[in-house]
Amino acid sequence: MRERQKRDGRKLFFLSIIIVFCILGGVVFFVANRISIEMSTSAIYNLSESLDLIRNTVETILKKETEYQKFIAEEIAASEDPFEFIRFYKNKQTMTKISLILVGEKEGFSSAGEKFTEQDLDFSSNKEVNGMHISQSYLNDMGTWAYTVKCPVVKDGKELGTLYIEYIFDFFEDTLPNKFYNGRAVLYIMDTKSERLVLKPTGMGERDAGHLDLEDFYRANSILEKNLQSEIAVNIHEGKEIMFYHDIQNESSLIYMWPLNDGVFYLIGYVPVAAIQQEGRSVNHNILIVVIVMLCAFFLCCLLYSFSRKQQDRMRAEREAEREVHNKQLAEALQAAQIASNSKTVFLSNMSHDIRTPMNAILGFTTLLARDADNAAKVREYTNKITASGKHLLSLINDVLDVSKIESGKVVLTIGEFTLSDLVSSVDAIIRPMAKDRGQSFHVSVTDIKHEYLLGDETRINQVLINLLSNAVKYTPENGNIWFRIIGLKQYSNQYEHIRIEVEDDGYGMTPEYLETIFDAFTRAENSTTNKVQGTGLGMAITKNIVELMGGTIDVFSEVNKGSLFRVDLELRIPREQTDQQYWQENGITRILAVDNELEICKSIQMLMKDTGVAVDIALSGEDAIKLAEDAIENDTPYQVILLDWKMPKMNGGETAKKLRAIIPQTVPIVFLTSYTEDEVEDEVFLLENVDFLAKPFFVSAFKEVLCKLADGGCEDETSEGSENENSLKGLHFLAAEDNFINAEILSELLNIEGATCEIVENGQLALERFARAAENEFDAILMDVQMPVMNGYDASRKIRAFEHEKHTKHIPIIAMTANAFAEDVKDALDAGMDAHVAKPIDMELLRKAVNQYIERKE
Amino acid sequence: MLACSMAIVLTACGKPDIGENLISDEREEEKVVNVFGPMEKTKPNTKNTSRTAFDLTVEMAEEELGLTVEYRTYTADNYQEKTYDEVALDRARNNMDDFYLLNPDTIQKLGYEGKLLDLSELDNTKNLREIVRTANTIDGKLVAVPQEVVVYGLFINKDMFDQYDVSIPNTPDEFLACCKTFKENGIETPIGANRWWLETFVLAQAFADLYNGGNTREEIDALNRGEAKYSDYMRPGFEFLQELIDKGYIDAKAAYTYEAIEGEGPDFMAQKTPIVMAYWGAANTETAYGKPDFNMQVIGFPSERGQMPVVPITGYGICAEAEHMEDTKEVLNTIISDEALQVYAETNKVISPSKNVDVECVPALQPLKDLVEDDIYVLGSDANMKLEQWGNTCLIVRELLNGATVDECMAEFDRLQEELLKE
Repeated sequence: MRERQKRDGRKLFFLSIIIVFCILGGVVFFVANRISIEMSTSAIYNLSESLDLIRNTVETILKKETEYQKFIAEEIAASEDPFEFIRFYKNKQTMTKISLILVGEKEGFSSAGEKFTEQDLDFSSNKEVNGMHISQSYLNDMGTWAYTVKCPVVKDGKELGTLYIEYIFDFFEDTLPNKFYNGRAVLYIMDTKSERLVLKPTGMGERDAGHLDLEDFYRANSILEKNLQSEIAVNIHEGKEIMFYHDIQNESSLIYMWPLNDGVFYLIGYVPVAAIQQEGRSVNHNILIVVIVMLCAFFLCCLLYSFSRKQQDRMRAEREAEREVHNKQLAEALQAAQIASNSKTVFLSNMSHDIRTPMNAILGFTTLLARDADNAAKVREYTNKITASGKHLLSLINDVLDVSKIESGKVVLTIGEFTLSDLVSSVDAIIRPMAKDRGQSFHVSVTDIKHEYLLGDETRINQVLINLLSNAVKYTPENGNIWFRIIGLKQYSNQYEHIRIEVEDDGYGMTPEYLETIFDAFTRAENSTTNKVQGTGLGMAITKNIVELMGGTIDVFSEVNKGSLFRVDLELRIPREQTDQQYWQENGITRILAVDNELEICKSIQMLMKDTGVAVDIALSGEDAIKLAEDAIENDTPYQVILLDWKMPKMNGGETAKKLRAIIPQTVPIVFLTSYTEDEVEDEVFLLENVDFLAKPFFVSAFKEVLCKLADGGCEDETSEGSENENSLKGLHFLAAEDNFINAEILSELLNIEGATCEIVENGQLALERFARAAENEFDAILMDVQMPVMNGYDASRKIRAFEHEKHTKHIPIIAMTANAFAEDVKDALDAGMDAHVAKPIDMELLRKAVNQYIERKE
Repeated sequence: MLACSMAIVLTACGKPDIGENLISDEREEEKVVNVFGPMEKTKPNTKNTSRTAFDLTVEMAEEELGLTVEYRTYTADNYQEKTYDEVALDRARNNMDDFYLLNPDTIQKLGYEGKLLDLSELDNTKNLREIVRTANTIDGKLVAVPQEVVVYGLFINKDMFDQYDVSIPNTPDEFLACCKTFKENGIETPIGANRWWLETFVLAQAFADLYNGGNTREEIDALNRGEAKYSDYMRPGFEFLQELIDKGYIDAKAAYTYEAIEGEGPDFMAQKTPIVMAYWGAANTETAYGKPDFNMQVIGFPSERGQMPVVPITGYGICAEAEHMEDTKEVLNTIISDEALQVYAETNKVISPSKNVDVECVPALQPLKDLVEDDIYVLGSDANMKLEQWGNTCLIVRELLNGATVDECMAEFDRLQEELLKE
């Protein structure tokens, strides 16, 4: 309804505009027309006035000429010899010839000295100027149109003769307007009797036909109507003024014929109507311009108004769109917040569940422990389970703290040199038992790696691998397979090894929906199959953050019930000095033989050994190996080491080794390459001399260790074994600053178990005071909590160190024992003057190592 | 917006400042050069190409020199009135104009009278072809310079020739045979003629050998010295004309009164007459034979040496006592510059007097152009001949048309030659 009203209103508005414009147009037309008519009348009047003026001028000239002629006639009459007077007359501009014929004679003389008769002149029209007869126009001997006026020469009332003076029409040229109506009007002087045009316009563009006579004028200007021509002829005969409209060269024109000197001559010509109405047209043009400008202005206003409306509408639409976007964002934010809140709620719920489960175990078992305190076997069982639950609880807490730290950007990578060999073996050592427990097959492969020694945060890489692999173990059913691959990719830079780590399983897999959130914190795959799997759901978030922190990428591909593939790409810096060629040179190893039925493995060995300067020949079967070995001996370039795959088709490693041993000397070590799961080594192999085993995948460092072991029972880094006893805390006396009573008691009990004693103080201040009072060597070390009332552990340590410095006492080891377990906390502790940092909950093994390290130094 | 627009319009249309009530006449005195030329009494709304071409060059001069060239004209209303040449002579003798477009006979008369300025001093005359320079040099003075080399030829209606199976005539006999065929086929007057241009037939036959025989200089000298008689040269041509008249191939009475083109042109265009004579430019201009409804060709006049174009060199001459002498010299120098002549030749499709300008002509003119380019032509006027040829022959031919015998005409030539020798 409203829309219809709006439409009607718009129609009315446009209708009113049209009416207003029609009225305006009518008024303008009326005014313009009126102006045109008035100006036209005025223009014709002006034209008539101009023609009158020209006529008056011409007639005045004619009159003056005749008056002068009279004067000359009087002069001649007064002169003694009239002919002498004429002979000496000098031609003037207007009068080109003077002639005299005496009364009674037919011939006379002219000023040119020649004879003159009236025969050549035509005075038959009897027309007069100022009472003197004027001849018909003629072409004179100067080649221009002329006329002659005659007058009597009278002396004392007696006529002596007749004076003839010739005048040329060219003289009138200067009296006519130069550019009549801006050169658009044409003016001729016509001799009425002969109808010849005796004075014509000059100048370029005026030379087309029509200049000859009246007939030519009619013909040239298409004035061909006989009636009109007759009417004109009558008027000319009567010496009347004539003016009429006619088209000349397709232009409406006004033709005028104005008699001069009672019609002796005629001023004829034409002017285009447009030329005489120029002013009127100019006014109308101006009116038109004003109207057009007003219309333009009006339409411009309409346009601006419309533009402004559109702009406003657009802005309104934009604002609304913006508001909608804003609302949508708010809704999304709200949704996100709700999801986050839900996630956190779920997380808290999970946490609550996950924390309560081990806590429940701990508390439950402590209850059982209290009940069965007398049963040593049960006590051991309960404590074992309490310990396991506690460790699980600790790992939960560590994960939560890790995520919190990563998200707040506080993680710092500790870059150091490591070998892929150590990395793989440490991961293998952890995962393989786990997989084995679940009856899964764990496959490890390393291919195309060019550099084994790399720079990076080994601990974090380890953490990533453990996370991925432990997940693979968790989410793969029993008897499943897990593949762990390290693949060397094409290097972007010589300074970086580009590696790809792939962890693949044929386990439960993940839904596409879950894949989208797998790397988000606080998510965990929930289904009937995995519900029994415990975890915080933080592992993948931590993994992704660590990988990205190292500048790498992680991708995941998975299908439900088919398995998952995690792919981590990393670029790790290559240390300047890769391997020490020295070992190989010193031991005279320049040439070895690698035997494996898989070409890839052989090539990998070649690649890894490239930097050692050792030449590696490869054989893909036992038979080939024997042949190569024989050839080498024959060529006097024997192999110094044989690397032999244990499992090969046709001839296996053991059999090949036996045959090789028959060819090569005993001094040449044979190293069997076995997979980690390979346990079924034939006993008889151990009967062979100088053989050992190297787990796949092949690494130079591991290979070197095996060779060392074979050479002299182990290399130089066998230092720490067997020092277990030296790490005992037995007999040591500690000063412990611990504000928590329970923790203090636990510490005290644990130290007692270790055979050590301690004195507990409740804060740093007391620790400082006690240390100051202590006798020399009373305490072997100080165990310092950090967060304590009165004085914290950092301040206390600083003051103790200051005290030592001041009193010149011996340096006492201070070991931080705190729940602040991050690297930054360790750094802060060391900066405060402490010697070591042991995180709570206390791992007695770590404590032992730390204490003994410093006590030894003290000793 | 409306208010602003109104204000702007009203301001624009408003009165000038009240302080500016003194109106000064800022018109500069205009420089003017007067030229006198012929006027054709032809159709009112058609364009004359050669005049248009001249106008274009004059506009170049006006623009370059900042002056106005004013054009005065004359044409006789009928044969009894003074001719253009007579009026041009009168006007030049009375210093009425600054420069004139003159026919060859007028050039020669005024040149010998010393009424024309020596134009050798104009820079652009150095580009002139030798034929032009030779024809217009009198007593060592170059007295006139043309904008085109005017070549006269026979304009034939090739369609009619084909219709009556008439071949193009080369010799006088062939021409007579050709006219006979037309006559027998009912063409009342095979040759359209006027009182001006019939002398071309005579001159072609008279001087074909003189100009193409390789002995030109000597033969002219003999004529000038009176050792040879003009009448001997002219007789064959006159007799030939007489035969054409006698056999009714030319209407002598009509021709005696006809102005050029104006008289004979309409019949030729209406395909009543198969042959007329005219100058080269007539083939290009609407006012003459520019747009025929038939296949037109332009060929040379018949002579014993074959077709012969007749080249009377016209030209612009400056009055020796011109009122606006310096301006006139500059105007003439400009309109005969290579640039102006290029414009002229392109507009008018003519042979340029400048050796540096050459343009293509319409196909109808190609036969004539080929002859001229092969140096086969007869000069219609030659200042080296003391007896003026173009005008005198024209007048004597007119006498022939008026009933005089060939002998009487030859006697007139002898008389003129004798008078000249007496001088």
